[in-house]
Amino acid sequence: MTKTYRAPTLWDRIRADYFSSRLNTALTLTFGAFVIWVLWNLANWGLIHAVWSAENRDLCGHGGEGACWAVIDARWRLIMFGLYPFEEQWRSAIACCALVLVGILSCVPWFWNARRISILWVAGFATFYVLMRGGVFGLTPVFEQNWGGLSLTLFIFAAVSLLGMPLAIVFALLRRSELPWIARTMGVIIDTIRSLPLLSIMFTFAIVLPFVLPGWMIGDKLYRVIVGYALFFACYQAEIIRGGMQALPAGQEEAAKALGMSYVHRIAYIVLPQAFRNALPPTINQFVITFKETSLVVIIGFFEILASGHAAFGTSEWNFAHVEVYAFVALIYFVFVFALSRYGAYLERRTAIAAR
Amino acid sequence: MKHLKTATTALGLTIAAASGAAAADSRLDAALERGKLLCSGHNGSFLGFAEVDDKGEWKGMDIDLCKGLAASMFGTSDGNLEIVPISWAQRWPALQSGDIDVVIKLSGWTHSRDTELNLAYSLPYFVGAFHVMAHAELGAESVADLDGGSICVSAGTSTERILASYLENNGIDAEVIVFEKGDEVKTAYFNGRCDGLILFAPPLAATKATSANPDAHVILPDVLALEPEAIIVPEGDSKWLDVQNWMLSSLWFAELNGITQANVDEFKANPPSAQIGKFLGATPGYGERLGLSDDWAYNLIKEVGNYGEIFARNIAEPYGLPRAMNNLYTDGGVFYPLVVD
Repeated sequence: MTKTYRAPTLWDRIRADYFSSRLNTALTLTFGAFVIWVLWNLANWGLIHAVWSAENRDLCGHGGEGACWAVIDARWRLIMFGLYPFEEQWRSAIACCALVLVGILSCVPWFWNARRISILWVAGFATFYVLMRGGVFGLTPVFEQNWGGLSLTLFIFAAVSLLGMPLAIVFALLRRSELPWIARTMGVIIDTIRSLPLLSIMFTFAIVLPFVLPGWMIGDKLYRVIVGYALFFACYQAEIIRGGMQALPAGQEEAAKALGMSYVHRIAYIVLPQAFRNALPPTINQFVITFKETSLVVIIGFFEILASGHAAFGTSEWNFAHVEVYAFVALIYFVFVFALSRYGAYLERRTAIAAR
Repeated sequence: MKHLKTATTALGLTIAAASGAAAADSRLDAALERGKLLCSGHNGSFLGFAEVDDKGEWKGMDIDLCKGLAASMFGTSDGNLEIVPISWAQRWPALQSGDIDVVIKLSGWTHSRDTELNLAYSLPYFVGAFHVMAHAELGAESVADLDGGSICVSAGTSTERILASYLENNGIDAEVIVFEKGDEVKTAYFNGRCDGLILFAPPLAATKATSANPDAHVILPDVLALEPEAIIVPEGDSKWLDVQNWMLSSLWFAELNGITQANVDEFKANPPSAQIGKFLGATPGYGERLGLSDDWAYNLIKEVGNYGEIFARNIAEPYGLPRAMNNLYTDGGVFYPLVVD
């Protein structure tokens, strides 16, 4: 009798992976029970015993039985839009969607050439700015200091990335310059900015700069902070890109030179694409950090999403519900950061195929 | 953070002093000309003083004073008041750079701020005490009863220093447990991590009022320290400072004379005395000397009510904090109006 090969079923695989020995069985059972216990408690708190509607606020256990999602029901508009005027919040919502849409579209390979992507982003930012700031097309003007919530967080993130990325490429190229005084000056600048905390850079740009700059250069503090943050981002990102460039064999650039390619062509077609591929994981990392650190603008009085979360539970009715508000804000951060990381993983797979 | 704050403030002040000495114009004139008062808000909320309601509108005691100030200057705060959200660290540089005209942000009158930072203080409009709250089941009646126990406090605030010096001065041997954030301190206290919790009176009252079982906690009567909170304007602008002082005085004057938001029209139509007539602008004189319209106090009371109403609306009703020291002198408090003549 011959034994025929039987493909392992799901059950076989589970047994092989989790229950192959007595020790493994014990470990699986222990940790499985622990995970189920945690999930059960979480569901109990967050779903089963939770109070969902703002009308039922009195049922909230003041930190007792279940979560009080009523606070989100009552205050979500404050969390999402901050101090933006209540009747005009649809503008903030559309502006926010426009930015997200532009973000998604720029992940689509069709947009990956200089002209298309710049048109896309200019259009995206113009839509955002016109909607948020108003003052044209019969929209009431809303000043930057009243922008807030998710749209402000996204705007700061997008603006910093977009200003910072080209700046980072320039910084990285300057630091690799063959003229020693350029390379060294750039090195000193990068290292100086990197050795300062982001908080102090933001504070300086928002509060100290108006004392030193001439009047016409001051602008709103939101844009000053974005410029400061972009500079900070560029210095870190420049080092990441430089790392990617250093991983390239010197022969690549030399071969391009030998073929008579100009500097711009060498950089744009040979060096940068490969450098970016090498530097992709730390770059995504840097974007994630940048997204999260937008919350630091609270120090100069902006109602980004975490600050408007604070304001949401900072009132006599909802003062007990800070855990729920933090959980909600964390969920929003998670959605964006997780999407960003997954996109990074997709890019890595895609460029890896191209490399073969 | 502290050093950064001091350094930027100092830098700002030096530059402001160098360039701004020539600017003799009062902030009052500047704001009147602009047609808008720029008043300090908050980057989040401070219970009872600056909160944001469901519609994203500011409310609270500090905000009411901003509204009152705008109404005094322009007749109504509607369209004439801009609440600029600022952080604690930002308030002095923002005042010097002109981002805001006045700081009404629960800021204590301290020696260093008054002298080194070139700030001018109005009459205090709120006297805040630091109290300790304890679990009722401990049966403690004063902070001394917590000897051998533990007290929770937020790190890096003046509260931490106040607690330490009070314990030292009174020879109380309690363990001080320090937490980084306000939410953590409260959670730790409610989870029984410590016997007592020290906070500034308004947030302490709020914490008690919004806890799961308010009766399970007692606020001990000992006053560990006091902080007089005042309105702050740049030094050397006496015209602007006068407006602040007389606005506060008017709020107390109205309360003392029983003038409220509801009956101010009656009082204006039939003033019971010549003094009140002058106060409400029925006869001229009260506003002109300050550079305001003569009926400014009427507008002020019409907009926000008298001091007692502001206190009740923002502090007493939502948080159950008794007026105590913040009463008029006639009710055992520390406040009194200046003389209207």
